[in-house]
Amino acid sequence: MHEFGLGEEVVKTVLEEMKRISPPPHRLLSARIVVGAQHRIVPDHMRFIYEVLTRDTLAAGSSLEVSVLPSTALCPDCGWQGLMDESVLLCPGCDTGNLRTLHGMELFLDRLEVEYRDTSDSE
Amino acid sequence: MTQVTRSEIKVYRDLMGANAEWAGRSRQMLERLGIVMINLIGSPGSGKTTLLERTIERLRGCLRIAVLEGDIETTCDAERLNALGVPVSQLLTGGGCHLEAKMIHHALCDLPLSELEMVIVENVGNLVCPAEFDIGELTKVAVLSVTEGEDKPLKYPLLFHEARAVVMTKTDLLPHIPYHLALCLDNLKRVNGTIPVFQISAVTGTGFDAWIDWLNGLSA
Repeated sequence: MHEFGLGEEVVKTVLEEMKRISPPPHRLLSARIVVGAQHRIVPDHMRFIYEVLTRDTLAAGSSLEVSVLPSTALCPDCGWQGLMDESVLLCPGCDTGNLRTLHGMELFLDRLEVEYRDTSDSE
Repeated sequence: MTQVTRSEIKVYRDLMGANAEWAGRSRQMLERLGIVMINLIGSPGSGKTTLLERTIERLRGCLRIAVLEGDIETTCDAERLNALGVPVSQLLTGGGCHLEAKMIHHALCDLPLSELEMVIVENVGNLVCPAEFDIGELTKVAVLSVTEGEDKPLKYPLLFHEARAVVMTKTDLLPHIPYHLALCLDNLKRVNGTIPVFQISAVTGTGFDAWIDWLNGLSA
């Protein structure tokens, strides 16, 4: 259910971007999204939803690559900076809970890979 | 002869871009009008609507409030709140598990905004997706009942990290259930070190004063 809402945004964005490609490609091979670990996306689940939602669209048959970025944070109290355990937002340096997220909230469509077919009679 | 070529197109586009744009539009509009919007998020049955009823009864004398009521189906909650004499607008997501910024923006525009100081949005009962979607609110408030278990802040850290306050409901049940309040408070601290927690009971009225003061403070 969580992936479904985000999956709808992914497919909507992919289809919009496809329409902007000039010249129009023959088909979409793959789309790649970058997701921060704090979104707690299950890549397999996301790929399944993508497959279902792209049926009968311009993106049908394409695959979805999900690249997960680890969470990093900075502690304003003690200056600790590093990889963060997503479920426990407690500073490993000083044990306070004021960590500021540096990475891990990203959510963007990174790239599309398309195929062109040039059919010509010339030898 | 058919020649097949592959091409890679860099997009680098924010997937929440459209939602963020609508949220920004609402936020600007509300700021201009001096209206505070609160996004109430909690699981189904955590007591969000009852909390709203008791909150509105206490606030309506001093603050002009409207409610946007998000549900997947039915208008029961809106009917309950309508009885309190404040403007209520029901948003049905028709299966969607959260409210989105565009929906909220249109609903806001249908409210008598010039007569309001506060809009409280009751999001769809869910601890996951509503935390992901900015709807243009000033602050998210998490509603957590004592019957849900002490581990919820750790299981759904994003909400409790994003929220600016937690309302802990149904505290009148504490003497009757094996619930470790201190453990839950510690877990909340682990995901959000500075978050204020209002322990309330809609049955006895306990704890409402501090919560109402906090809400009034947002609007001041």
